[in-house]
Amino acid sequence: MYLMLRTTVGRTLGRYQWGQKQLALLRGTSTTVPKPEKIEVFIDDKPVYVEPGTTILQAAALIGIEIPRFCYHERLAVAGNCRMCLVEVEKSPKPVASCAMPVMKGWRIKTNSDMTRKAREGVMEFLLVNHPLDCPICDQGGECDLQDQSMVFGSDKSRFTDIEFSGKRAVEDKNLGPLIKTVMTRCIHCTRCIRFASEVAGIDDLGTTGRGNEMQIGTYVDKFFLSEVSGNVIDLCPVGALTSKPYAFTARPWETRRINSIDVSDAVGSNIVVCARTGDVMRILPRTNEEVNEEWLSDKARFSYDGLKCQRLVSPMLRDCSGELKMVDWEAALLAVADKLGNAGPKVCGIAGSLADAESMVLLKDLVNVLGSELLFTEKSFPLTGSGTDLRTNYLFNNGIAKVEEADVILLVGTNPRLEAPLINTRIRKAFVHNDAQIAVLGPCLDLNYTYEYLGDDPSVLRCILDASHQFHKTLMCAMKPLIIVGSDTLNRRDAAGIITVLQTIANKKKNVTDWKVFNVLHKTASQVAALDIGYKPGIECLKPEMKNVKVLYLLGADEGSFHRKEFPDDTFIIYQGHHGDYGATMADVVLPGAAYTEKQATYVNTEGRTQETIMAVSPPGLAREDWKIIRALSEIVGYRLPYDTLDEVRNRLQEIAPHLTRYNNLEQNSFSGEAAQLAQESDVPLVDAPLCVSQTALEDFYMTDVISRASSTMAKCVAAMQKQRQSRY
Amino acid sequence: MAKFLGLDKLAKLVQIVKDNGGVKASLYKLYRFDDLRTGKLVGVDKYGNKYYENPTFFFGRSRWVEYADYYGMDYDGSQIPAEWFGWMHYKTDLPPMEDPSRPKYKWMLDHVENLSGTPEQYVPYSTTPSKIKAWVPPKRT
Amino acid sequence: MLSTIRSIKLKWSPIFTRTIQTFPCLKHDTMFVHRDTPEDNPDIPFEFTDDNKKRIQAILGLYPEGHKRGAMMPLLDLAQRQVGGWLPLSAMHKVAEILNLPRMRVYEVATFYTMFIRKPVGKYHVQVCTTTPCWLRGSDEVLNTIKSELNIKVGETTTDKLFTLSEVECLGACVNAPMVQINDDYYEDLTVEDTKSILNDLKLGKRPAPGPRSGRYACEPRGGLTSLTSEPPGPGFKVRPDL
Repeated sequence: MYLMLRTTVGRTLGRYQWGQKQLALLRGTSTTVPKPEKIEVFIDDKPVYVEPGTTILQAAALIGIEIPRFCYHERLAVAGNCRMCLVEVEKSPKPVASCAMPVMKGWRIKTNSDMTRKAREGVMEFLLVNHPLDCPICDQGGECDLQDQSMVFGSDKSRFTDIEFSGKRAVEDKNLGPLIKTVMTRCIHCTRCIRFASEVAGIDDLGTTGRGNEMQIGTYVDKFFLSEVSGNVIDLCPVGALTSKPYAFTARPWETRRINSIDVSDAVGSNIVVCARTGDVMRILPRTNEEVNEEWLSDKARFSYDGLKCQRLVSPMLRDCSGELKMVDWEAALLAVADKLGNAGPKVCGIAGSLADAESMVLLKDLVNVLGSELLFTEKSFPLTGSGTDLRTNYLFNNGIAKVEEADVILLVGTNPRLEAPLINTRIRKAFVHNDAQIAVLGPCLDLNYTYEYLGDDPSVLRCILDASHQFHKTLMCAMKPLIIVGSDTLNRRDAAGIITVLQTIANKKKNVTDWKVFNVLHKTASQVAALDIGYKPGIECLKPEMKNVKVLYLLGADEGSFHRKEFPDDTFIIYQGHHGDYGATMADVVLPGAAYTEKQATYVNTEGRTQETIMAVSPPGLAREDWKIIRALSEIVGYRLPYDTLDEVRNRLQEIAPHLTRYNNLEQNSFSGEAAQLAQESDVPLVDAPLCVSQTALEDFYMTDVISRASSTMAKCVAAMQKQRQSRY
Repeated sequence: MAKFLGLDKLAKLVQIVKDNGGVKASLYKLYRFDDLRTGKLVGVDKYGNKYYENPTFFFGRSRWVEYADYYGMDYDGSQIPAEWFGWMHYKTDLPPMEDPSRPKYKWMLDHVENLSGTPEQYVPYSTTPSKIKAWVPPKRT
Repeated sequence: MLSTIRSIKLKWSPIFTRTIQTFPCLKHDTMFVHRDTPEDNPDIPFEFTDDNKKRIQAILGLYPEGHKRGAMMPLLDLAQRQVGGWLPLSAMHKVAEILNLPRMRVYEVATFYTMFIRKPVGKYHVQVCTTTPCWLRGSDEVLNTIKSELNIKVGETTTDKLFTLSEVECLGACVNAPMVQINDDYYEDLTVEDTKSILNDLKLGKRPAPGPRSGRYACEPRGGLTSLTSEPPGPGFKVRPDL
């Protein structure tokens, strides 16, 4: 089924949209193809030179003329069915649909002539014949393409007099699940959602049924539209037919403050816009960043915001003599912590969790170090043999997220990118659909939205690939741009070092393409890369030998359940600093309420090593404070005042440790991949027979992975809907 | 002559003081109600408020209530129960015990005075959910 | 007086201003959304017969590799014929499985074409053409006859599950109007009596001879040819003799 789509979509897109890109790729690989000559066309009498195959609409966009459209979308195949983009082409008797028409040499296109205006007005009138006038109760109101365009291009009066007779078209609403609300009478049949589902999400559940006036968008059978990126159809829908269910009737777009921020639900670091009103996060939307998330967003990032309002730590808590956590004020909590910290000396241990930001991790490291301890760990592990985490190339998604779509061979080792990083998965799918990439999976048999060659789940296959006894070796060696992606679940294995060594050696054999890095690590958590950059030791495993000596354990949002209270001595004093009451806070003796990612200005590094910062959208609830400030205040009471009073001073310290940590939105190139492979050779860890496995296999496992999404009722509803879907016969 | 000298007024005062139970009781009543008059005791409600009528006063001032002693200085109009309210406001001339047409049902509630400004006052609860739901630590078993 | 004039003006004003009117809502006899029924639900198994499996192989052979989805409509038609004139959901699922397509793509095709019928029909699907030429030639009488003979309305099936009556648009036999199509057979040049006899034959289990009932062989003129009556000229007609 995917192959089928690949040929059809590939051709459609190849002709209209990806023409330039494919040509560019061709140019890159063979020098015999001459650069196609640009052709001149005139749009509103302005000359513009474009490459052959450019559509009128794209050509007009080049000189800043925007042609109205509903069905056309830059990232989807051209449908050409809304007819809103009709323009007049000189000597053409009829107006032309500009989104689907490639320009020809010397064409004179009029985007504002009488004929064009009349065509638009006519199209708009026909669209409005069957569109309900419910803008006042429609959630799309204020950001609706139909509303805006009818103001600009529509008629100033209505000729619709048919209310008594047959009225407007009535269509049954579809139940697409707990995230997407449908009001199908508003649908204008642009089919963007269908194209998104089939091209980007890879789930062919949406389609058109029926014909003519009775045509409907839907699933035909009673079925949810559940995908890890399903929420994007809400943004794509130009009208209010598909809107967000959790956001329904809560706010208007003009009331909300929009704050550009970063998502932390996975290690992709998607760019988001947090829409806040009166100190409340109303919704989260994607922000276009071609390098990271294009304009998509995963459902967890988009819909787990209601988790920010539940299970929050709003006040410091201290375990009293009866063993219960009781709310106290900051002074009492900090004094209690300082007392224990001062006595513990070097027996202090810090563990950073999956949502910790770079600033607070640096301050915690400074505090623990100044107390004489080096015990600082992250929750996710990484092998320390060879060059370990000393070279960034070992633990980064070196090739960058954007370049995944150029790959021609991709080997996934013990990872499920669809659930661990949905937006990297869309890039892989893009490579599959548009670039005919061959994909192979080593690990459990997964439900991915592209066809792949299954190499089994035995890690010893890697050795076979390395010594060319496996047929995949040839595929890999013939590839121009191969990628090896290793998942974070694989890094937790005992033989992770061995696997990485083999993979790096394979990768090192393919060094013929410049600017192309074969070995990539796909992390799951937003904090991991920054933690390793700062110098945290990866994984609780490293702590195991020291556990019995720990007197004070400082948890910086460590909630993944990678360790137990019982592993530490009974008198270990556990401090939990974070924003949600979850695994860590339950075992803690002191709880210090911190800020979630929407409530602080903080630095995160994504899996490709790109530093980005979140911006404070709302203030932390109750007595909660920004995380670095808590540690700074604590250090003063302990008696070792850390010399950072402002965020700038903290960031100067960040820069001292690793300069890239303050170069925001910039992807630092890393090198030494060859050296890393050589260093890895020196410690040859044997591969274990245990099959490679991943913790997230089905879509149910996607929704609730961190403290925020575990507290979110929307995510819980998604899990329930997914389970219901599994029972369904469709 | 007595009238000329105002002695009848004096006699009236003496009579009023006498009706109100002596000098001490009269002073106390004057202190409580800023008023001292005499009239016919029409009735006493179940809370102990006494209702008087003296038609020699002008209409509108001819009926009054002396609140029960236990109210002290904290008396107010809402302490008059509904059945006396009509008589007090000249809606009817029949006091409740003489009026046969007053409805009497089992389900009729006892009179409650206006509790505004007291600790028992009614405060509507908020219907807006709190923006943040705080974590409640689990109890240790 | 003035208000009377105004009301008259208002009443007549639509005539003077152009208005947009939608079509009257098409009262389709089928929905474009699937509902589970005892007759049609995904739990009912569907399997092509062995004969049809051979046919499927032949049909698939017509389409090049990578374009096998082109065989969807022949396959759906095959399934419809096998089931007896209608297309259950499980048959669509089977076709999707054979073509390795998402089920939605099959639903789309099956709902688009009106000749894929997605609800159970009787053994004989009587489709009466009521488009203009047939209507002018008396399709209303034919339709009413069928209605009264079978005691059903348009879109209904008789209780013995023998007949389903549908009203359809032009079936391309205007020259032999009025006509009905019963399953794959055209019955043309109908009168009320013809219609009754066809229905009676079908009730008795016979298959009435398809074609025109007026004694015509096909669509030739009823009173014999009025033109082209002479012998057709042979080769070389009016060609220069020197050629």
